[in-house]
Amino acid sequence: MATETSNTPSQELVESIETFAGQNGPYYAREFVKIQSAKGLPRSFNPTAALLGPVWAAARGLWGYFWVFAIINLFALVQVGRGLWGDLGADKLAKATRLTAKSDEMAQRAIDALAAGTSNAEALQRNSDNLAKAAQRALEAAEQAAAGATTVLIFGIILVLIIMAVQGYTSNMAYEQKYGRWRIDKSEGSGVNMKDIIFGIVMIVIMYPLTLYRFTVSRPMENLVTFPANKDLFNAVAENLEGWFDYIAVQGADVFDGVTATIRALLDGLETVLVGTPWPVTFLVIVVLAWRLAGPRVAIFTIAALAYLAFLGYWEKSMATVALLGAAAVLCVVIGIPIGIWCAKNKNAYTVVRPILDFMQTMPAFVYLIPVIAFFGTGKPPGILATIIFGMPPVVRLTALGIKGVPESIKEAAIAFGCTKRKLLFDVEIPLALPSIMTGVNQTILMCLSMVVIASLIGAEGLGSDVLVALQYASKGTGLLAGLAILFCAMIIDRIVQGRFVREDDGR
Amino acid sequence: MEDAVIRLEGVWKIFGDQSKEAMAAIESEGLGKAEVLERYQCVVGIADVSFEVAKGEVFCIMGLSGSGKSTLVRHLNRLIEPTAGRIQVLDANVSELSETDLRAMRAKDIGMVFQHMALMPHRSVRDNVAFPLEVRGEPKFKRWEISQHALSLVNLDGYEDRLPKELSGGMQQRVGLARALASDPAVLLMDEPFSALDPLIRRQLQAQFLDLTKRLQKTTVFITHDLDEAIRIGDRIAIMKDGRIVQIGTPEEIVINPADEYVADFVQDISKLKLVFAHSVMANIKGYKSENGVNLDDAPRVTEDRDLDHLIDVSVTTDLPIVVTDQAGKDIGVVTKSMLLKGIQGGK
Repeated sequence: MATETSNTPSQELVESIETFAGQNGPYYAREFVKIQSAKGLPRSFNPTAALLGPVWAAARGLWGYFWVFAIINLFALVQVGRGLWGDLGADKLAKATRLTAKSDEMAQRAIDALAAGTSNAEALQRNSDNLAKAAQRALEAAEQAAAGATTVLIFGIILVLIIMAVQGYTSNMAYEQKYGRWRIDKSEGSGVNMKDIIFGIVMIVIMYPLTLYRFTVSRPMENLVTFPANKDLFNAVAENLEGWFDYIAVQGADVFDGVTATIRALLDGLETVLVGTPWPVTFLVIVVLAWRLAGPRVAIFTIAALAYLAFLGYWEKSMATVALLGAAAVLCVVIGIPIGIWCAKNKNAYTVVRPILDFMQTMPAFVYLIPVIAFFGTGKPPGILATIIFGMPPVVRLTALGIKGVPESIKEAAIAFGCTKRKLLFDVEIPLALPSIMTGVNQTILMCLSMVVIASLIGAEGLGSDVLVALQYASKGTGLLAGLAILFCAMIIDRIVQGRFVREDDGR
Repeated sequence: MEDAVIRLEGVWKIFGDQSKEAMAAIESEGLGKAEVLERYQCVVGIADVSFEVAKGEVFCIMGLSGSGKSTLVRHLNRLIEPTAGRIQVLDANVSELSETDLRAMRAKDIGMVFQHMALMPHRSVRDNVAFPLEVRGEPKFKRWEISQHALSLVNLDGYEDRLPKELSGGMQQRVGLARALASDPAVLLMDEPFSALDPLIRRQLQAQFLDLTKRLQKTTVFITHDLDEAIRIGDRIAIMKDGRIVQIGTPEEIVINPADEYVADFVQDISKLKLVFAHSVMANIKGYKSENGVNLDDAPRVTEDRDLDHLIDVSVTTDLPIVVTDQAGKDIGVVTKSMLLKGIQGGK
């Protein structure tokens, strides 16, 4: 059964729009109805908004609209300003003057030389002519630039007009959207607000004149272009920090040496196993591992990739790299999983740890190489430390996520049957979170691998240092081969670790 | 009650940071729910609940969502701590148990079944059922033996080595029931066990559960939001509203004598045919005879414990009223057609 709909809007809608719009309520009620009943693009033009743009948006509380159009308008006005008052050929004109002066000087010296009968008179004369020609060219360029001012001016004016049209046609639509939001949530704000208008105008008054001044005057005040920074402050702080680094390095030498020794022990163990074992044995073990864990296709890929490493002579270096990466990954997992569990259990812990993780991930690696070198020196263990910093966040995050994702109902059931906290963690929470934890481990391994080139900067030898050397001598062939070797290492590890879990997921 | 297995006395649960202060204020000033929320930002979950459950009894707690029934049942094994009151299960005061004793009690004496099954997806059906035994530290071969038995109780032989996800919803809930029965607990807590299942499976499981409780004689607290289910399963029913128990009684008592309008609303749509018995609708035979002077010698006779359904069957065969007799065969009352219709309607 079709209910009868009329083309005129209901009284309730009109009243609601008028309440929302406040000033000029009937106008907006009419326009909104027009927008709502339009099938294609609505043709609703708001002359006030077209003319005043950002100020109108501020008055109506459309802040997104305000900023977008404030900035495009500013851009258009700068073009107009440059066209009108900007001394566009100024720099080229200055160059021409400079060159002419030089040319005159040369000519004078040539005349002097001719008078003195020196042999270089002719050369001087030639120089002078050349300079004069260059000056002439600069002069022409300056004239051309000055002529370009008209183009810039016209471009700017057209831009302003286009923006005005866009403002006129889009403003009511944007305002209608806001009306929709206001109907859901009355805190959205409605009507015209004096405070908003003042804020909008103040913003424009601050932004527009200064920007226009900077772009239209040929020599703006120095302080407007560059921030008047204090060099002394910078030097003092830098020096102070340096002192602190030295102090900590000396005071904590024992701790740092202990950390280095621990990492070295782990690394030596792994290197003995991977590098020391005869290559056919390692080769066979890796291929069988790939076969067992990830299936025949991955095994075939692994054979091919390992063959690449072996035939091109990267075998030993690859194994050293994998040992380096393995040590870093093991430490990441050993430290990261307990931290992740702790974060999942303790809300306060997570609020503290999360910003640190963000910091570890976003900080460019080169920056934290500085303290690592300061405290731990160079070589492989500091390289591993830098790798750990970069590689640990995923395993912490995904462990926390996985443990938090264990359904409350299952935990409750376990507790209802008398489960201890320990058993709950090891027999319920960790097994249920395992897919997430393993994704974290996989990501950590890959991130560690991506660090090997950077780690080689501070003396962590391996495939990374080959790439680094190739980079320094711009030897493209070597660099590409070493880069591919790293890629293959990464893919073998990723396929094996991932393949195992993809297979388990398939079974689900 | 002499042989009460579960006994609650004046149990309160108040959620919120200031629950202690709120409780004190309730005791001294008798604040209402809204005032507690306004003054202490605390929510009253359970308000002054007392009841007893006898050995072997199936005690249903019925209420709509938010009435506090699930909160209440979690007090019995202290998944939630009460703010005030005394809770006794078997011979132990649950609130005073040490952590170790509490865990032992949960593993040995109380089995629980959950609305959303809450099976562990990474364990086989058998290992799920064996979980309470594992917690108790039973050796593996014994765990397997016992869980095998529990699974056969719920007719799931042959599914021991499957994973829960391979089973249908109804089967999964039977695994949940087997898990609760595995440690042969004295008390069963059922938290809306059949609510998430479709109606047909639900009825099958209800029947299976009724059969099991008759055989095993477990003291059961059964939570449901479905009055039909409560009537079908419960020996007694407690109706909850806003954290309070509004009425406790047998299904018949509740249907015939709703304590207030809230309960009456619930009961209104319940079919009385199988729930109301002859003795509840009959009139005194002497009074009837003296008023109407009808000869009832030829009238059909039924015993007082027959339900309305049977009375209808009898009534359609005769024009006379039905005479109700006691177990000894003595005439005690009379049911006319109008009384019968009133009874079906729910009036008296």
